Order: sequence, then C-alpha cells, then structure tokens
Amino acid sequence: MEKQIPNQTAELVIRNLHAKVEGKEILKGVDLIVRQGETHALMGPNGSGKSTLANVIMGHPKYEVTAGEILFKGMNVLELSADKRARLGLFLAFQYPASVPGVSVANFLRRALESVREGYDPTAPAQPTGQMDKRKGVPPAEFRKLLQDKMQILKVDRSFINRYINEGFSGGEKKRAEILQMAVLQPQMAVLDETDSGLDIDALKIVSDGVNALTGPGLGILIITHYPRILSYIKPEQVHVMYQGRIIRDGGPDLALELEQKGYEWLTGTPDQDVEVKV
Amino acid sequence: MTQTLTKGFSRAGVEALSQLKGEPAWMLEKRLAAWEIYEQAPAPLGRRGDLGILQRVARYKYDALTPYVANGAHANGHAAAQVWESGLLVQQNSSVVARELDPALAAKGVILTDMDTAVREQSELVQQYFMTGVTPNANKYAALHAAFWSGGLFLYIPRGVVVDRPVLARYLINQPNVSSFPHTLLIAEQGSQVIYIEETGSTLPEGTTALFDGVAEIFAKDNAHIQFNSVQDFGPGIWNVTTKHGVPEKDGYIHWIVADLGADTTLANLGTTMAGSGSNGDIVGVFFATGSQFIQINTLSDHAALSTSAQTLFKGVVDDRARVDFEGLIKVGHGAQQTNSYLSAHGLLLSDNARAELIPSLEIAANDVRASHGATTGQVDAEQLFYLMCRGIPENEARRLIVQGFFEPILDKIPSDELRARLRRSIVRKLAKEGQRIADETEWHDITDHWDIEGAGAEAVAILGGDE
Repeated sequence: MEKQIPNQTAELVIRNLHAKVEGKEILKGVDLIVRQGETHALMGPNGSGKSTLANVIMGHPKYEVTAGEILFKGMNVLELSADKRARLGLFLAFQYPASVPGVSVANFLRRALESVREGYDPTAPAQPTGQMDKRKGVPPAEFRKLLQDKMQILKVDRSFINRYINEGFSGGEKKRAEILQMAVLQPQMAVLDETDSGLDIDALKIVSDGVNALTGPGLGILIITHYPRILSYIKPEQVHVMYQGRIIRDGGPDLALELEQKGYEWLTGTPDQDVEVKV
Repeated sequence: MTQTLTKGFSRAGVEALSQLKGEPAWMLEKRLAAWEIYEQAPAPLGRRGDLGILQRVARYKYDALTPYVANGAHANGHAAAQVWESGLLVQQNSSVVARELDPALAAKGVILTDMDTAVREQSELVQQYFMTGVTPNANKYAALHAAFWSGGLFLYIPRGVVVDRPVLARYLINQPNVSSFPHTLLIAEQGSQVIYIEETGSTLPEGTTALFDGVAEIFAKDNAHIQFNSVQDFGPGIWNVTTKHGVPEKDGYIHWIVADLGADTTLANLGTTMAGSGSNGDIVGVFFATGSQFIQINTLSDHAALSTSAQTLFKGVVDDRARVDFEGLIKVGHGAQQTNSYLSAHGLLLSDNARAELIPSLEIAANDVRASHGATTGQVDAEQLFYLMCRGIPENEARRLIVQGFFEPILDKIPSDELRARLRRSIVRKLAKEGQRIADETEWHDITDHWDIEGAGAEAVAILGGDE
C-alpha cells in the first residue's frame, strides 16, 4: 500500500460513513466536513448515532466501519489506531470518560503531551527496539506552567491534578477535566461529545468559556449535543442534524434556533419524547 | 573435614548436618523429629490435585539437591550496610556470610545473630520458640526445613526498645542444585518495635535450579509492633517454598508486607495467629508473575482471642503463561468474639494464556464477628485503554500505565518509602518486555509522584457546588 503523507490542512472529511456495533448498523452514510478554524454543531435526538460517530472518528475498537472514509489532513485515519489519530491532531472529549485508578491526572497529561508533541509521521522508519527513549520529554517546569495556566482558565482546583484520572470525579469535574486535557494537548480538530450534559448552568458557562478560549484559526470543533442550550455560549458557524444514522439537515446558526423552538419532531416527523427543548 | 553433605535428603543427612554444626543434642532431636514428620507427610496437592501448582512443587527433584554447602573463603555478593539500616545479615546458599548491628542497639540488649550462633548462645530462647510459631506439622516443606535448616536470622528486641531504622536480611543463592534453608526467629518483647526487611535473590547458570525453603517465626509480645517486609525477587531456576507465621499477643501488632516477583515456582504460606486480646495482624501483598512462573499463595488470619482484627490485601498481575493461585482464609475461633477481619485479593491478567484463581474463604465459630472478603480477576479494561490511547499514548505504554495504576493503591499502603520505590522499579522492569521500550527507574516516579503546581491554588478554587 502506498504510504500516506499528512498535509498541513487539518480538515476533517467524512464521506459516506457506515459503521456498526455488535452487528447493528448505526451509521448509514454520514457526510460531513469540518475545517480548521470552524465550529460545527452536530445535533439530533438520542439514538441518532451522534456518539457512535464521535467514537468512530477516534477509532474505538468496538465499532466496525463497513463503508466510507474519514480523512484528516488528507490521510485515511481509519487505518490508524487511536493514539496515532491523537498524534495527528484529533481529540475527543468523552461523554462518559473512563476512570483510570492509580494514574494521576498530571502525570497522565504529561505523558500524553509528550506523545502528542512527538506527532505522527508515517514516513518515519519504525523505531528500533528500545530506542523510543529518544522521545523529547516535556520539561517539568514548562509543563507545570502550561498546566497552571490552563487550570486557571477552567477554574480547576490544584488538588484535581493529583487525583487519579476521573476516579470519584463528579459529572462536572469530568467534563472540565476533558476540556483541560484539550487545552493542554492543543489539538487541531476536537470532537466534544455531549460535553454539556450533566452540567449545571455555572459549570456549563465555565466549560464554554474554556472552549471559547481555545477556539481560533488553528482549531476545528465539532460539538455534539442533544440540547441547543450550549449553543448560546459556543456559537457554531454550521449546524447539522443527525437522525437514524444520517445527517438530514445542514444549516447555519439559525437552524439551532429553529430547533430550539420547534424540537426535532419538526425534522424527523416523529415525536421524540426524550427531547425537552429549553430556552 | 568436608563441609558439604552428600546429595539427597535422609535421616543420615540430618545427623551429619547436626554433627557438622556441632549442635547440642536437643537440636538434633528436633531435627530428627521433623524428619520423621517429613517422611510420613504426603506432599500437599490442594484442591486441584494433579493439575495444581502444588504438584509442580511436589514433583521437584529433591533427590538431586545438596542439603548443605559451605561457602568459599570470602563472602561476596552483598553490599555494605547502608545508612538507613540498623542491622544487616547476609546469607549465601547455606550459611550466613555477614552480620552487623548498630552498637547502640546492641548496648540496649538487641541481639542480631545467625541462627546457628543463636543455638549455642541463646539456647534458652531458641528452645522455647523454635518451630513453635510454624510447627513441623504445618506442611511437608516446613518439616523438611526443620530437619535441614541452616543459617538464617535470630533477632531479639528487649522490652520497650524501639528499633527505628530497619534491620535488613539478604538471602542469596548462586550455586545450582543447592538447597537453602534459612530460619528466621524474631522475638519482640513487651512494648518493643522493629521493622524488618528481607530480600531474596539469585544468580544461577541458565537451565539449573535450586531450592529455597525458608521458615519465619515472628513473636510480638504484649503491645509490641513488628513490621515484616519481604521482597522475593529470585531469578529463574529457583523453587521457592516459604512458611511464615506471626503470633501477636495482647495488643501486639504484626504487619506483613510481602512481594512475590521472581522464582520459577513459589509456594508461599503466610499467616498470623492473633493469640492475645486486642492483637492485630495485617498483610499487604503484591505479586507479579510472567513467563512460565507459578505462584501459589496461602494466607491465614487466625483469630484466637477476644477483640482482634486483621486486614489482608493482595493485588497482582499475571502475564504470559504464568499462573497464580491464591487461597486466603479467615478463621475465627470459639472464643474470638468481636473479631474484625477483612480479606481481599485482586488479579489482573495481561495475556490470554495467563491464569489466576483467587479464592477467599471464611471459617467462623464465634457469633459476634465482622468478617468479609472479596476477590476479583479481570483483564485490562478496554475503555481505559481506549481512553489513554485517545490522548496519544501508544498501546504498550497505555497498558503499562494501567498496570502501574492497578498496583499503585496497594503500594501506597507500604510504610517504607525505600521499599515502595524498590517494588516500583521491579514492576517497571518486569513490564518492560523485549521489543518494548526499556523503562527506566525514574519512570514510575513520573507517573505517581505528587506534583506541586505552584500558584494554581488560592484563586483557582472550584466554584461549582459539591464538586470537590
């Protein structure tokens, strides 16, 4: 197979993506393009396949892609393991992040930062055994400064980072920890999967402020959400509505407003009892 | 005179050993009585019979072993005492080759000597305690030990004396086909305190084997505290059989910290009999089996008096084709009301061919008792792995983080910083397989050390209610 070489345009291109989990097809032909510097919202009722899409973008082994492609920086990322995707510049803020007992947030993050900074170069020769020590470490002082700055933005208590990853974290703490990781790792394309769920209004504001502080020409964002609420804090340029494994409507910010007023039934044609649209 | 016995174990061998050591008649009698028990006792096969790890211990070629070998002219293979130790004893194969004790402690009446010397110089104490904490009936291998023991450590802490720096013992094997039988007898008198650390290791030519069969008997008198640390880090080729038992009396406390990392085959029996009211016996245990290592661990919390407590916590990892069987028993006697006992064992399997069976059980004959146990065995969690990989961490490294994280909470319960650091190094080394990144010793430090992020505290207090 021809070796792929990433280009510098951090564009996420999803074409005709089909994926199944445990034999059941969830994604039935998704098309979506998110460019660096853009913020997109992906909305839709529960069970429409939004979280599946997030996991497939990142390469969760539980999901099987049956057709279509996902390109990032011009590379077919479906061939890459999750760590390589992350080192290419992709990031997923989890809806339900796993806890990892015994591993502290600070040290995990430092490890992650070192890996991400190393990047992914498919043309580099395979590392000879035992040679990975050459990895450029992140000096502790630099890391502390970086972490400290990001923690202030996200109003994260210092005790937080010495705790084990997500172990015993409240819902709000988990979400802030996800955004803290995003702030430290500085990806070029971030998928935020239901980052607003389980947050009260104060927490939502902190998390949104955190995300807004990171947005800019270098970062593309795909916010996956069930409720339009977060979109009063983070303004997307484009809004997509997903239903039954497909994107059924694309639009501008107005589409979110319309959904807020009319609910998903307006688009899906069936009553969605899970949806409570708040103003 | 020849200082090496002929191959194989026999009654004549027992007599020859005792004669070679110039022992008093009472010790020869104890040896011979133990030999009788050894000959009569069936090898334990456990609940798995022919399939179990005990079978591998039973089938070992005992006849090919030399029961006792003399050491060369000079002792080597041990480092000089470090500053943090208060005493040191080094045994190589069959005999003790080095011994030191802080003179200030000796002046207070602390006795640290090898067991052979103790038989001559502390015969009253030895006669009173020897093979009473672990009787020759405990198991066939304890009986073999009692018949052929040689070397080992005698440590006596007088009433009220606190030994604040650890006493360290090292047991080394460097000759094929030897058997090493060190006997540890530790007596802490009323109100005294001591920390003891035992390390084992070996260097054998490839393809050769040797036997380590050690017994430790620990006596904590009223209100005495003994912390007994043991790091078993034998190289390949060692059949390692140990029987360790502690007896705390009224308000006495015995705290075991044990790690089984090395050896081909291990059978570790470890227990505490809470003999006095208010006494306490805790165990913190760690194991890590790789390659074709077999480890069987049997623990006993034996509550024999009023108001005693015990907590046994084991955690370990099994990789490759290795096997670990753990059987933990909480036993509460008739008179042992107000017992409080807990036992847990958790295993993490890193390969499809690795096996671990962790079985806790209870035997309770009193009615005012709090006793509970739990055991789990599982594989690396796929969601944890995916989560770490999603942050750019390669799979091998992510697995290693998860394994280290698995151990971390139990390592946190180890009182000695030095020992904790030593175990982390050993674990990191065992995790670094061929073809993977060679982990260095500072790595775990990175992963676990608490970080002090200056300046992010006061003004960054969480404002979300109920979060912290």
